[in-house]
Amino acid sequence: MGDQKLTPPCHHLSPTNVRDLFDSLDAFLFDCDGVIWKGDTLIDGVPQTLEMLRSKGKKLVFVTNNSTKSRRQYAQKFQSLGISVTEEEIFSSSFAAAMYLKVNKFPPEKKVYVIGGEGILEELKLAGFTGIGGPEDAKKIVQLKANTLFEHDKSVGAVVVGLDQYINYYKLQYGTLCIRENPGCIFIATNRDATGNMTDLQEWPGAGCMVAAICGSTEKEPIVVGKPSTFLMDFLQKKYNIPTSKMCMVGDRLDTDILFGQNAGCTTLLVLSGVTSQSTLQDPSNQIQPDYYTNQISDILDLMKS
Amino acid sequence: MLVSSRATAVSSAAPHRFLTHSVNNFNCISSSLSLPTSFGSSSLINDDRRQKKINTTVGWSNRMDKKKISVVTCATASVAAQPLENADALIDSVETFIFDCDGVIWKGDSLIEGVPETLELLRSKGKRLVFVTNNSTKSRKQYGKKFESLGLSINEEEIFASSFAAAAYLQSIDFPKDKKIDPLLAYLLTAPFYEPVGNMSHVLITCMPRVFLREQERIYVIGEEGILIELELAGFSYLGGPEDGGKKIELKPGYMMEHDKDVGAVVVGFDRYFNYYKVQYGTLCVRENPGCLFLATNRDAVTHLTDAQEWAVVVGKPSTFMMDYLANKFSITKSQICMVGDRLDTDILFGQNGGCKTLLVLSGMFSLHLLATFFLNFLVSVFTMS
Repeated sequence: MGDQKLTPPCHHLSPTNVRDLFDSLDAFLFDCDGVIWKGDTLIDGVPQTLEMLRSKGKKLVFVTNNSTKSRRQYAQKFQSLGISVTEEEIFSSSFAAAMYLKVNKFPPEKKVYVIGGEGILEELKLAGFTGIGGPEDAKKIVQLKANTLFEHDKSVGAVVVGLDQYINYYKLQYGTLCIRENPGCIFIATNRDATGNMTDLQEWPGAGCMVAAICGSTEKEPIVVGKPSTFLMDFLQKKYNIPTSKMCMVGDRLDTDILFGQNAGCTTLLVLSGVTSQSTLQDPSNQIQPDYYTNQISDILDLMKS
Repeated sequence: MLVSSRATAVSSAAPHRFLTHSVNNFNCISSSLSLPTSFGSSSLINDDRRQKKINTTVGWSNRMDKKKISVVTCATASVAAQPLENADALIDSVETFIFDCDGVIWKGDSLIEGVPETLELLRSKGKRLVFVTNNSTKSRKQYGKKFESLGLSINEEEIFASSFAAAAYLQSIDFPKDKKIDPLLAYLLTAPFYEPVGNMSHVLITCMPRVFLREQERIYVIGEEGILIELELAGFSYLGGPEDGGKKIELKPGYMMEHDKDVGAVVVGFDRYFNYYKVQYGTLCVRENPGCLFLATNRDAVTHLTDAQEWAVVVGKPSTFMMDYLANKFSITKSQICMVGDRLDTDILFGQNGGCKTLLVLSGMFSLHLLATFFLNFLVSVFTMS
């Protein structure tokens, strides 16, 4: 059967194991949707938990796959929810996309077509690139007529696809033409999450849909810059100079958050306050086992007290 | 008038694969016609990725016990396709020709050269003509009108669009059409058999045969008019379609998108008006309504995302559903059929899966097909992740 790696069991976070976990770690990396908030509603006990961690000298980092906002916009969101977090502590997939282009020396004279939110456009601008498309293409309509050619900008050198609630046929056609017809055009996906908690009451389709659509029409695979890719980890490490073995990734999705943590060599903690239920975690078909799991992050605070 | 060069033996033992520039070549193949071999071979399965894509299997949702549609794993082509040189032999060896439409008969709204004469010729030789298209935007009747406007006389009964296939599939699995009967009416119908004693009557009504009180199962459509028309013709009840193209959502605290709990199937086809609303609606139905089916009219670009647990039931090519339906309807054997198409991963695979001869024409426009079917992958990724 070959060598089957035995996955160590996933531990329920409890008073007995929480202290050891806590003492061994220097930094906590938090996913946002389903961990800190759901849509625009804070999850119970979050501010107090983050306060406690900071007071104990732990570094806090926020790593989110949601590319609709820039780091600056996320900092504003935290503030509006009563939590003080600086821009530099936030690593969004919108930031990741811009950084990927920078690191790979994308020529600034080439344009970037965006299927996604303002966040991506803002990060591109900050990094010195020209983004086109984005939310303003939401109103554009396609006419499938004879003898009509859909035009596109030949100077587009990259297409970045992220979560886009205003997705439409126009954007898909534009992105497809750029990727298929502009020589060397790069296809980047901020992330491929199937769903997310975009509101407090239910899950909604994630960037995975928009990316899948472009994969379908171009028959190409994208470069994924968000979790579970460890691309962002390089930036994190440069900033904090902490070994990944002393970091804990806290998230609600197995195939992005937990996998990201595992790929990078961090301790991983799954919370059940988002898209993953206990039954999904414990289902025999689930191949991804975090080191620990608990209901929500405020459990850390509660368990430490007891 | 056919001019054939070297006599090429056409064996009817294995499905044969032919290559020709267009359907027109049936009419005027001559010994001077030489197909550039480099071009010819590039159309064949020599692209690794395409090769991998062709070897696909489709799994089933739990309602599919009754009827199985087979999409067989295709053995890699060990025999290379032959350029069509002896059309006579091919024509004589089959009784029915199945034609794809986009890229074979027409391109957009323009007829491809030589098509009317070719179809005439085949009819004059007593061949049956059938048209199978994955394009679900029109109904069979509307396609009939399109053929007419292009000067071709084709009967509606000869056309099998994937919109029709979706309705036919639902009929084949006895998807409910029953209307919900008012409980009072049901009581009155059965009252003679019970003694209405106070509350007992209420208890008896609730014990009545389920058929009287069964909920009507509806179908949510992400697609265009063609699907709606075919569903209605078949007697099904649907919601969605083009009118949901104008619906908007607001991702705000406290906002909840409701969905009809009676939806028992979601049918997805080409939809130029699709939007986030439709994706969410369809997703909610598939994920939250127990046993809800997920049907796709076609999925031309096979996606890597289909390693998820639940797959769409694909009724269009390359699924053999329409082939089986045809064979049954016209009482023809598969070996008597030649499938003519411009796409390897739908048309040709359809023919091969069905066990008939296949003829690839190089007159097609790949780009249209690819653009027209990408978004199924869009939806598959959401529907199939739990």
